[in-house]
Amino acid sequence: MVGDPGKNGGGGRRVRRRRLREQTTLGWAFSSPVLLIIGVLVLYPLIRGLLMSFQSLDLSSGGDGSFVGLRNYSAVLRDPQTEAAALHTLGYVGCAVVIEIVAGLMVALALNRPFRGRGLVFAALILPWALPRVVSGVLWSRIFNPDSGLLNSALIQLHLTHTNHAWFDNPYAAIFLISLVHVWGVLPLTTLILLAGLQGIPANIYAAAELDGAGAVRQFRTMTLPLLRPALGIALTTGTIAAFAIFDEIYVLAGSAYSTRSVMTQVYLTTFSGGDFGQGSALAYLLTLATAVFGIAYVRRLGRAAP
Amino acid sequence: MTRRLSVLGLLRAAVIVGALLWTLGPILVAAVTSVSTQSEITASPAVWFPHHPTLRAYRALLPTGAGGGGAGSEAHQFGSAMLTSLVVSLETTAVTLVLSILAGYAFARLDFRGRKVVFVAVVSTLVLPVFALVVPLFRIMATLQLINTNPGLVLIYVSAIAPLGVWMFYSYVKDVPVGPQEAALVDGCTRFQALVKIVLPQMRPGIAALTTIVFLASWSQFLIPLLFAQSPSLKPVTVLITEFVGKYNTDYALIAAAGLIALLPPALLALSQSRQIRGMLSGGDL
Repeated sequence: MVGDPGKNGGGGRRVRRRRLREQTTLGWAFSSPVLLIIGVLVLYPLIRGLLMSFQSLDLSSGGDGSFVGLRNYSAVLRDPQTEAAALHTLGYVGCAVVIEIVAGLMVALALNRPFRGRGLVFAALILPWALPRVVSGVLWSRIFNPDSGLLNSALIQLHLTHTNHAWFDNPYAAIFLISLVHVWGVLPLTTLILLAGLQGIPANIYAAAELDGAGAVRQFRTMTLPLLRPALGIALTTGTIAAFAIFDEIYVLAGSAYSTRSVMTQVYLTTFSGGDFGQGSALAYLLTLATAVFGIAYVRRLGRAAP
Repeated sequence: MTRRLSVLGLLRAAVIVGALLWTLGPILVAAVTSVSTQSEITASPAVWFPHHPTLRAYRALLPTGAGGGGAGSEAHQFGSAMLTSLVVSLETTAVTLVLSILAGYAFARLDFRGRKVVFVAVVSTLVLPVFALVVPLFRIMATLQLINTNPGLVLIYVSAIAPLGVWMFYSYVKDVPVGPQEAALVDGCTRFQALVKIVLPQMRPGIAALTTIVFLASWSQFLIPLLFAQSPSLKPVTVLITEFVGKYNTDYALIAAAGLIALLPPALLALSQSRQIRGMLSGGDL
């Protein structure tokens, strides 16, 4: 940032040291409000929650808060419900992330060049995100309802089937459909992040490539994708984290049915229905750990890019 | 050349049309549901277009609402809940933007010990699911006497969204050329002036994107206000709407109408911000 100190001699080094001190003060001053808020409202509760996962806090059987070591963790890990919930969650994450990234990239690319009415299209595509989850949940349950559902009615009226389908009876179909509903709400964020990334790519490099005779596919592969990497990283991370924590959509569409239960549903049932805050915290921590393992690749890449 | 361009153009048009159908389909369902009668909503086979369209649901949502609809007094709180959502979302957006810009600039441009560790620590909190924090967070907010308060709610939102903002601004600031900033510093500008006068104007698309993201994220919060803002005067529209779901009989039309109205503020914001992004595209870079 500052010129080569060797060139400036002793005076330059003093100036440099003073500027470094100034940067240290300013750096902490600029970042301290965020650090304070995150420290008090995220990191501190994180540690408190970790302590709770080692305590006996089962309200239904008189948990007294005493230290029980890893007993909550071993109880949760032995529970076959945990394994099922973990497999379902991986299914949700796989379906949701793949669809989000592919569809989000396609939509962002389509929106990247100006056309008439782009602002309107953009605003329309953002809508699902703004729709409160309960409302979208109720709407989709109206669509998938086995008796008076719109999807069944449409298929029968188009003579594609003759009988009503109970869409959520097949667990694979149920997980796929719930993932689709999840994607419906998350896709706007993915598209927005990727679009902002695309707009940050200077237009003149494409003009240069055009002069060199590079086709659209080659331009995309050799220029757009590499330059879009940071935005793809952000979109992938936020998408993965949101899918790992999937809860609302399942709750509205399938309740706490065993065959579609996610880890988050299991945390909710353990903590708020079962009243076991110790085991609930332990399970929530295992989920956090699993999310972090997937998120860490991006954070590490970030760390390498950081100064 | 022209032929290749037109194939690409067709592809883009197809993607946009497909995305619009996918996005607007369920919203059209909401629009139809909101003017249907309850018997039309539960009919099988489905009634696609209501035979007797009615604005009953919308009338019930007015503060002095007539029209009843079984939801009782909850429907009449709709106006004040909309206002609450608006105030909290605007406050969260303003605070998050200012704090993320400052921190993002510090991490990207200021050389201080420990910045790398602190930056990675802040961004890493993005992987924490809310559920892991909710129970201990409740105790802390109670100690700070911030439960059922507007600042308490805003602070929790900011703590959840700011890491994304810091990350985004960090990468935007990195992309802004250093030269002009250095020149401004040599000319006697302070760091803060350089940030406001030189860096900020070049990040307008990023600011527009983050404004939209933060506002929409706060607008659609559900679990946090459910737990931390139980008093009627602080209830946002997302929580109020769940109270329309009855134990025995759900008023679908009322939920659909409320949901459609709740869509308007974020939709208008997204529209205005997309103009900003587009304006920058034609006016920037070259």
